[in-house]
This record gives sequence, structure tokens and C-alpha cells, in this order.
Amino acid sequence: MGGLADLGINLPVLVAQIVNVAILLGLLYLVAYRPVMRMLDERSRRVKESMAQAESIKEQAAHAEEEVKKQLEAASREGQGKITRAVQTGEEVKQKAQEEARQATETLLTRARHEIQRERDEAIEEVRKEVADLTIMVAGKVIDRSLDKKAHRQLIDRVLEESTRRKKK
Amino acid sequence: MPKRGYFGVSFYVVVGFLAVFFVLLVTGFVIGPLGRSLFGDLGLPAWLIVPRPVPELPAEVVFHLFGFPVTNSIIGAWLTMLFLVVFAYVITRRMKIVPGRLQSAFESLLGWLYHLCQRVAGEENGRRFFPVVATIFLFVAFNAWLSLIPGFGSIMVTTADGHHVHLLRGANTDINMPLALALISFVFVEYFGLQSLGFHYLGKFLNIGQFLRSIGQIVRGRVRDGMIGMFTGLIHIFVGCLEALSEFIRIVSFTFRLFGNMTAGEILLLITAFLVPWVFAIPFYGLELLVGFVQALIFGGLTLVFLTLAVVHHGEQGAGD
Repeated sequence: MGGLADLGINLPVLVAQIVNVAILLGLLYLVAYRPVMRMLDERSRRVKESMAQAESIKEQAAHAEEEVKKQLEAASREGQGKITRAVQTGEEVKQKAQEEARQATETLLTRARHEIQRERDEAIEEVRKEVADLTIMVAGKVIDRSLDKKAHRQLIDRVLEESTRRKKK
Repeated sequence: MPKRGYFGVSFYVVVGFLAVFFVLLVTGFVIGPLGRSLFGDLGLPAWLIVPRPVPELPAEVVFHLFGFPVTNSIIGAWLTMLFLVVFAYVITRRMKIVPGRLQSAFESLLGWLYHLCQRVAGEENGRRFFPVVATIFLFVAFNAWLSLIPGFGSIMVTTADGHHVHLLRGANTDINMPLALALISFVFVEYFGLQSLGFHYLGKFLNIGQFLRSIGQIVRGRVRDGMIGMFTGLIHIFVGCLEALSEFIRIVSFTFRLFGNMTAGEILLLITAFLVPWVFAIPFYGLELLVGFVQALIFGGLTLVFLTLAVVHHGEQGAGD
């Protein structure tokens, strides 16, 4: 044991140091490791919790955003639909107005045409009557004898009718 | 704000500081034993001459407590313990979730060790090993650093029987402390190994299963298989012996690694301070700070690795199969 004693190995001191380290281990366990480990666990738990919270908040936000987007889309679609419908209605109204105007014009035109026809017919009739009277008068003058006005009239009417019929054919 | 600054002070302060440092260095060299041997004795006053250091391997006994020798290294260990426990107590007395500066420094040191344990040994085992590893680390590191405080080794006391001895000594420079740490490490390794694996843990050292099986084979007449099996069994037994031996060699290597490094550091500082007094030793102090940390990390880390190895199941080597 001479060599070991020269190095300084000494049983009582060795035992004392082992006891010292054991005491240190125990004391440090009480005042350092246990509280620090608890603190580290607590902190990591909190961090994990807040991470989860942040995650859920993020998810919620994404959800809300999606919702908003969806609503916007729906609103936009609705608006578009309304506009389309309005345009359609406008178009219809326009067409109807045009149609009505056209019809009114047509009616007016037709009526005018009828009127004109009637006026012309009347005028022709008038002229024809005038001519007949004149003819009778002239003929009376020529023959110098007043024919029976009524017989004469019939005669002229017949002639005229014939001529009209012939013309129509 | 100075126009040219180095290390946060003005240029002239730095130059002045370097000049003082250089003067101290040269003076120290001249009045030291190296200078005296070169230039001869310059007739300097005696108080400037540093006495020749007398490193002693065995720790000196300062006093006896109930017949029990209390060496200066034990006092050093007590001082380290006191420092660590009081420091830890002051910090952890009022722990806050959002830590202050001191608390966060202490927590980050312990947290670093804690996560190191968990990385090496896994979540569950890391938690179990952490106190052992951290105690070894903290003790080795702080003991080394405390003994670097100037004045630590220069307090002299007179013992009851008239010797002048140092009051304090870094506990790790006395071989009893490294040996104690190594034994504690050894005990914890065996304890955790037995606790985790039970009887199987011993099978690593007493690996006779294969040998016995091959004897059985020979008895049943399968001599050729038996002989080959017996050879393998002998190798297993030999490997088991090596495993057992290595457990004890670990104690020796643990002890002498720490003891050697710490003692060498101490002696290095003594010698540099003796050869060239004053400022020359400053870089070596820095070196010793690093050495203290590295040795603590090695001791703690190796203990952690051995603990981890001890609780790993050696399925194919176990005695049961």
C-alpha cells in the first residue's frame, strides 16, 4: 500500500468524500434538480399548450377567412344574377316597347290607308255623280227635251255600272 | 463615443493597459528564477521573490474532527458543496415561469445537462440519470473553478502539531475525490443496470449459457456440434470476464483522468507563477477554466454513457438465451 499512500489514497478521506458527494447529490436534488425539472416541465407544457392554442386560433382564422370568402363569392354570384336579370328585363321592356310602337304605327298606317282609300272612293263617287248630272244636263240641253229625269238617271246608272264591271274584269 | 475604440474603451486606454501588461511581463521575467539565472541576482528585495512551490500529492490534514482527519481537500469539497447548494437554493427559492437573469443562466445550464441526458439515454432514463450526471458535472466544474480563484491556494494555517499547511485545496487534486466520484459513478451504473434488467444484467459478466448448453450437447452425443459450441462458449466467458474487468478499469481511468488533469493544472499554474511571476500565468488560468469544464463534461458524459449502456438490453448475450 506504500505506492497508493504516496498518491494520497486514504480510506477515511475517501469515505468522507463519498459521503460528501452523496450529501451534495441529495441536497442538490432537493434545491436544484427537482424545482428546475418541474420548472422545465411546466414551461414545456405551457409552450406546448400555447402552441396548440395558436394552432387552433390559426385554424379558426383560416376557417373564418374561408367563410368570408364563401360569403363574398355567394354575394358576388347573387349580384351578378341580379344584374343579368335586370339587363334581361330591360331588354324585354325595350323589345315590348318597340313592338308596341311598331304595332301602333302599323295600326295608324292601316287606318290612314283606309281613310285615304275611303276618301278617294268618296271623291270618285262624287266626281261620278257630278259627271252624270252634267251629262244629263248636257243631254237635256241637246235634245231639248227634258226627259224623264228619273228614267234617265237609271239609264246612266246602268251604263256606269256596266262600265265599272267591265273595268273590274 | 470615441472614434477609435477597442473592447469598448478608447485607444489610449488599450495602449496603456497593454504597456502595463508588457512591463509586468518583462519585470516578472527578470525577477523570476529564469531571469535570475540569465542575468544573475539583481539584489531585489526578498518579498518580490516567489518561493519555490512544493506540490504535494497527498492532501494535508488541517485538523482532526473526533479523531477523523479533515484534509484541506475535504474543506475544499465542503466549500464547493456550500457554494453550489446556497447558489441553487437562492435561485430556486423563488422560481418564476419567466426567469430573471441569474435564474435563466442556472436553468439553462441545468436544462442543457437535462436535455443532454435525454438525448443520450432517452426520455425516461434521461430523467432518472440526470441528478447523478448533473451532480458529478457541477461538482467537478465548480470545484475546479473555485480553486482557480486567486488566493484560494495561498491561505496558510498552522495545525495543532505545528505544521504550516494550506487551508484550501481543490478537492479533485486529491486522489480521494476522483476515486470517490468514480466509485459513485460505478455504483450508480451497477444499480441502474440491476434495476432495469434485473438478473439479466449480471449475465453480461457471467456469460456461461453457451458453454453449459454445449456440454449438454456432448452428453447427448453430438460431440462435433458440442465441441464447436464449447469453443464459442469459452469465448463468451472470456468476453464476460473482459466486460467485468472493464467495469473496474473504468473506475481507475475515471480516477486518474480527473486526478491527473486537475493536479497537472494546479502544478502548471504553480510553476508558471513561479518561473515568471505576475501576469504570465493569466493565459494558463484561462486554459484551466476550459480544462475544468472539459473534465466535468467528460466525467459526467462518460457516466451518462455507461449508465445508458448498462440499461440497454443485451438480448443475444443474455444468460437466459
